[in-house]
Amino acid sequence: MSVFYFVAFLSIFFALMTIFTKNAVHSVLYLVITFFTFTIHYILLNAQFLAVVNFIVYMGAIMVLFLFVLMLLNLNKDTEPLKSNLIKIIGVIAGLCLVVTIAGSLKLLETSNPVVLKDPGIGLVSNLGKVLFSEFLLPFEISSILLLTAMVGAVLLAKNETKKI
Amino acid sequence: MSAIITLSLLAVLLLYLGLFKAKKALLPVSLLGLLAAIVLYSIQWDTDAEPLYSGMVLFDHFAVAFSILSLFITGLVFLLSRDYFDSISEHVAEYYALIIFSLTGALLVVSFHNLAMLFIGIEIMSVALYILVGIRKRDFSSNEAALKYFLMGAFSTGFLLFGITLIYGATGSFDLTEIKNYLIANPHSISPLFYSGILLLIIGLSFKVGAAPFHFWTPDVYEGAPILITTFMSTVVKTAAFAGFLRLFLTCFVPLQDFWAPVLLVITVLTLFIGNISALAQQSFKRMLAYSSISHAGYMLFGILSIGAASAGAIFVYSAAYSIASVVAFAVLILVKRSRGSEHFEAFNGLAAKNPYLAFTLSVAMLSLAGIPLTAGFVGKFMMFSGVLANYHIVLLLLAVLNAAMGIYYYFRVIVAMYFRPADREEVTVNANYKAVLFIGALLTIAIGIFPSLLAGWL
Amino acid sequence: METVVTNLQGVPINHYILFCSIIFAIGVIGVLIRRNVIVIMMSVELMLNSVNLLLAAFSAYKGDASGQVFVFFVMALAAAEVAVGLAIIVMVYRNTRSVDINALSRLKW
Repeated sequence: MSVFYFVAFLSIFFALMTIFTKNAVHSVLYLVITFFTFTIHYILLNAQFLAVVNFIVYMGAIMVLFLFVLMLLNLNKDTEPLKSNLIKIIGVIAGLCLVVTIAGSLKLLETSNPVVLKDPGIGLVSNLGKVLFSEFLLPFEISSILLLTAMVGAVLLAKNETKKI
Repeated sequence: MSAIITLSLLAVLLLYLGLFKAKKALLPVSLLGLLAAIVLYSIQWDTDAEPLYSGMVLFDHFAVAFSILSLFITGLVFLLSRDYFDSISEHVAEYYALIIFSLTGALLVVSFHNLAMLFIGIEIMSVALYILVGIRKRDFSSNEAALKYFLMGAFSTGFLLFGITLIYGATGSFDLTEIKNYLIANPHSISPLFYSGILLLIIGLSFKVGAAPFHFWTPDVYEGAPILITTFMSTVVKTAAFAGFLRLFLTCFVPLQDFWAPVLLVITVLTLFIGNISALAQQSFKRMLAYSSISHAGYMLFGILSIGAASAGAIFVYSAAYSIASVVAFAVLILVKRSRGSEHFEAFNGLAAKNPYLAFTLSVAMLSLAGIPLTAGFVGKFMMFSGVLANYHIVLLLLAVLNAAMGIYYYFRVIVAMYFRPADREEVTVNANYKAVLFIGALLTIAIGIFPSLLAGWL
Repeated sequence: METVVTNLQGVPINHYILFCSIIFAIGVIGVLIRRNVIVIMMSVELMLNSVNLLLAAFSAYKGDASGQVFVFFVMALAAAEVAVGLAIIVMVYRNTRSVDINALSRLKW
């Protein structure tokens, strides 16, 4: 039980570091650590497949893409001027309001049952595969359109056009 | 479903046509594909609607009507695309394919029966649009619009997802029927998570439809995007987003109306006033249309506010009238911009003397947007307002009428510029496709205005 | 695996919700206060990740696998969105030599 609180503390700490570090490359690295703590959370929930996918997709693919673009555009200088203090304060207040709203709604939740795995096998590959390919087959197929769109679009936009418009 | 498969295949086919440099074939093939999809949907009209594929989609009358509307408007947009994309770059096939992909997303949004489908549909629709907004790669404002739209879209997706998650946490399912059953089964012990979930969903969806106070991306994005893409965004995408919004609330959240109606009421009133007052101050016709689209979003929110059996029909007629008129307005704007290079109101000066046909169709469109009787816009507004009146929101109705009056002022500015402000200008050349679109648009606007039962009987 | 699962027993679901909303709010704050577009995108990733974890927690709590399946779709979206977003950033950078959102002059927030 205490493992959860320790890892949750780490996640929040590194998430804060991600958004408050001036250097963008450091931000990416802190974000990688945050995602790593999320992987631990998935293991604690016995969602093994998600843990592996989170590890590969987020920490592997997405973060490398971020780092790659940062390096490609040579943005690893901490030159970014932050927004004015007023906007900062408004932003923080807006975020805190969100937390308070949701925390407030939780107070109303009369009982707070502990998470007990009713079925420990729920996050295993075989079980998820069955659900994914029976009940959620249509969204699974449709998400291929999403990926194809993104692929076509990314190539279309990032390609350097030779013809002068 | 077969229509959605047809469209996906059509998009892939278009990509192949682009690969083999068959540029001439692109437009006819896409129009044929759209026609096939419309036919496939019309066949479904009379069959009994059952949730398909483990309750993922439901092609009831609501879904079919909005799908056919989206397909039809996309067809009009495609007709306008002749010569338009060629001036941007040579990758024309990709543009057609992306518009079709976006349309596929829109069709999923109007026919979802599971929150997973709503989410994926909205994302397919928006991801394709992020790209389309930025296709003028060297144009600074197009770049900016793409970036802004992308950031706002991704941000709002976060809210939408958090809302969906909280609703899942409360009900244990993503299926609309299950969520509805949960509400009916526990009328007094609804989990507080559900309330937060609805609020977050409203925020996420308001971003997507461009309702105040989450509208601030709309004017810049609409102005920066290529005009044809703006046309697509402000008609098909907006209609689909509203249809999805309405479908979600109509199917699931009606029992909780007392909770969310005040929130939506504030959003509606803000949207109306911000849209109309800002539109009054604009000098650019395109930006004026962007703000007017915000105010029309406000009118359409009335349909959701006074939710009931009639609201589907009201939103359908309203969005049909608004979309057709917008397509005509943007089509004329494309022509005027091509000849004068400006989007300002002055560019329209004296248009009536040289191009009476253009000026006439644009006037019809403006009258319809302003909601003058004998045009489709009037029928839409009438249905919307009578829904509000039935629920005894008298004050709201007065506010709406006040806003409609403001709308008349800025829509008439264009008509005045065209007919009463002389200016020497050459005749604008209009090719056959544009003529056809303008003719269809003006004809439908007047036809629906005179015989409202043409559309009103659908839903 | 048994020890891991017993470790979990006893964490109230409320604490999961609270934890995820804090991470979500950190993401929102990041979007609002940063000017570097890439950092803004990373904050959005943070928001999506908090949603993922909450879905997984609810799914374990309810004993229903569909929550974890939904996480796949969110991940597919995240991958697609990052690809498109970074392509847009590269395109903008070619024109402006900057990823500062205020450098895009007319961008008003």
